[in-house]
Amino acid sequence: MSNIKIIHRLLLSLVLVCVLPVLAQAQELIAGQSFGDDNEITVTFARPVDKAAVEEVGNYAVYEEPDPDIRLAVQSVSLADDGLTASVRFAEPLNTTQPHVVIINNIEPAGAAKFKVSKSYFGYLLSILISALLINNFVFTKYLGLCVFFGTSKRKDTAKGMGFTFTLVMVVSAIMSWFFYQYVLKPFDLNFLQIVIFIGLVSLTVQAVDTVLRKVNPALFNSFGVYLVLVIANCVIIAVPLILADNEYNFLETFMLSLGAGGGFLLALYLMSSVRERMEFANVPKTFKGVPIAFIVAGQFALAFLGFSGLSLF
Amino acid sequence: MATDKSNLQLVVNGILNENPIFRLVLSMCPAVGISTTVMNGFMLGVAVLFVQVFSSCTIAVFKNKIHPRIRIPTYTLTIATWVTVIDLVLAAYLPEAYAKMGIFIKLIVAFAIITMRLEMFACKESVNASFWDGIGMGLGFMVGMMAIGFIRELLGLGTILGYDILGFKPLLFFVLPFAGFFCVGLMMAFFNWIEIVYKRSKQRA
Amino acid sequence: MKDIMTIVFRLTVSCLLAGLVMGTAFIFTSKAKKHNEHVNEQKVMFSLLGYTADQAKPASLALHEVYRYVVTDQQGLSVGYLVPMAGEDKAAYTFVAIGLDGAYLGSYPVALAQEEVSELGPRDQAIAAALGPEKTIRYADETIVVTNNGKRQAYLLPGEFPGFKTFIKVIMAVDQSFTVIGLEIMEHEEDPGLGGEIVQNYFKNQFKGKSFTALKKLGVAKVPLPDDYLKALDADKYGLTAADVAAVQELYQDKDIYALTGATISSRSVTNGVKGIVKKFAYRVSILDKVLAEQQIAVPF
Repeated sequence: MSNIKIIHRLLLSLVLVCVLPVLAQAQELIAGQSFGDDNEITVTFARPVDKAAVEEVGNYAVYEEPDPDIRLAVQSVSLADDGLTASVRFAEPLNTTQPHVVIINNIEPAGAAKFKVSKSYFGYLLSILISALLINNFVFTKYLGLCVFFGTSKRKDTAKGMGFTFTLVMVVSAIMSWFFYQYVLKPFDLNFLQIVIFIGLVSLTVQAVDTVLRKVNPALFNSFGVYLVLVIANCVIIAVPLILADNEYNFLETFMLSLGAGGGFLLALYLMSSVRERMEFANVPKTFKGVPIAFIVAGQFALAFLGFSGLSLF
Repeated sequence: MATDKSNLQLVVNGILNENPIFRLVLSMCPAVGISTTVMNGFMLGVAVLFVQVFSSCTIAVFKNKIHPRIRIPTYTLTIATWVTVIDLVLAAYLPEAYAKMGIFIKLIVAFAIITMRLEMFACKESVNASFWDGIGMGLGFMVGMMAIGFIRELLGLGTILGYDILGFKPLLFFVLPFAGFFCVGLMMAFFNWIEIVYKRSKQRA
Repeated sequence: MKDIMTIVFRLTVSCLLAGLVMGTAFIFTSKAKKHNEHVNEQKVMFSLLGYTADQAKPASLALHEVYRYVVTDQQGLSVGYLVPMAGEDKAAYTFVAIGLDGAYLGSYPVALAQEEVSELGPRDQAIAAALGPEKTIRYADETIVVTNNGKRQAYLLPGEFPGFKTFIKVIMAVDQSFTVIGLEIMEHEEDPGLGGEIVQNYFKNQFKGKSFTALKKLGVAKVPLPDDYLKALDADKYGLTAADVAAVQELYQDKDIYALTGATISSRSVTNGVKGIVKKFAYRVSILDKVLAEQQIAVPF
């Protein structure tokens, strides 16, 4: 198996070397590319190009990266007056979640230009972060970590302490889980051990943070140490590794997801504690005092967070 | 120090006095997250019952062999093992129900209620008592989940266990995801109210 | 020090015990899981074709899987289809390579047992071995050709597309002229009560009977579902006869899909997803058929 993989990699690099001259050519000519409207790709050329060649629809071959055999129908191409920006219009709206490969033939004496158009990867990473933070907030829209959430959201100080400790442990343990999943569980077909391995890694992280913090910064430990034990009892911390194993996230995506999950928990705790501090002065009916009213408030937050759903920034 | 309660008392204790959801306020995530129907509540209840009973018995059997310093890791390992087993079994034999539970079956491993029962009960008591206590806690959880599911399904979809009871949907609101919070909050308030009324009548008597 | 030794020893023992329990459970369940998944999939497929518990499928009905791969070599990209071969010998498969422009590139016999063909790992290895080391392959998708008495009856198209929250997995059945016979949602994570309603009959059955021309320009209408159509879509619940249903279906055949209340985005993504799957498939199957006919590759469909 691994031999085949190595061969695959070698082959891929070979192909790349063969294609590289073409790519280099393309990089010289194509200065920028992006999705425009629903059915538009905008191409920026580095130097003025032949208008007739650019505007010839027959010169274009465009496909979504996973479906190279299905060519998208180009409707019209128009070059702007500066001779550098061309707008390629398609008969049907593009599926911008997929990277598109564009090949322009006969555009230059040297031949074809080939390039890929996709949404920026950085934007994609940010969207994972925002999604875990707001749209799919683990507390208000996935309903995880509620025990710790209701337990530690009485005071703002506690909420902040818990939130920061949690985010730290979250990021460290998620990254460790990712390494374990990618390099141990998956290659050896041990996926059924997921739960044990992940919870073990979380406990290990908590223990490590505990020990390090105690030695390095006793003052910080005194204020945050109590929350460390609670972290293990939080479902979010085990849910995140499970989710990233399910979705086959890569390293950066894992980092963003865990940061978003931790940050989202911090945000939820902070919002909730702000309300609960105020609520102490409110005249709550006797039957609703304590936990019941906290649930109602959380429900209202959840309702508010529903408004984020469908939000797409990038 | 064996418990002086009978088996039946242990079971009833789990369902009423120390109901994991409404009394101990533990394991709230599934109570809010997937309590949309009675069936969901029942299925997750079965899974929790299984994990609780088996973990309690395992710990009760090996209680003298467990080193006090590694108590918690051993509990976690035990729970994780049984969760893995039930996860595999449900995925294999009841794929449809499993798909509805989603990630929550795996998350049983982080349920505070199970660890708490191991720490408070199973590591001190006999296997027999731990077994019945596990049954009680599991049933208590199941009953709680089903009660929430009952209200949400009846009010939200007008059905019970998928059968059309009302013929219309009174309050779609209750079956929407976030309504779990409101539903649990209102039910807790209701139980508080009963308790207050009960106490008052007792004082008068 | 002695303490540490006992701790380590006991932890090791408990880990071994736990591993033993989980390993046993895994071995016992993994086979059953595969089997049940397969059975479930078959059940869904046959029910899509209209064969349910009360109406058994005829013995002449056969399913033939076709797997599509994307091949990379020095010349660039091409596609390839793993097709079964006609004849008594059921274990014979051929990998037909086709260029991006639809030209025939070659065919390679693949040594693969019938039980192995549905498993990704062994299938990939067998095809890679048949193609030789210069080519890398990537699995793309699967199509199931349904034949009755050796004549083509329908296609089953499994596929997935992004929904409102995460991916939605579906299987759909289309007939030879790509008219939708049925749609089944296999997996989704849409919100219960809102987008989750895509699994309901009154939504998914709207796709039934949409012809290819209607499907190509199918949109989503944000108007309430008419009452008679609702009853026709959920015929079993309201006890309608097949004739009644057909009459109402006729009326709404060229209408857009009625969006679910509060879940327009989910409705739209299902509609666009279904549209995309059928359009791509229609294009591909025409090319594959042409190549198979030109090269006289004998397939059982």
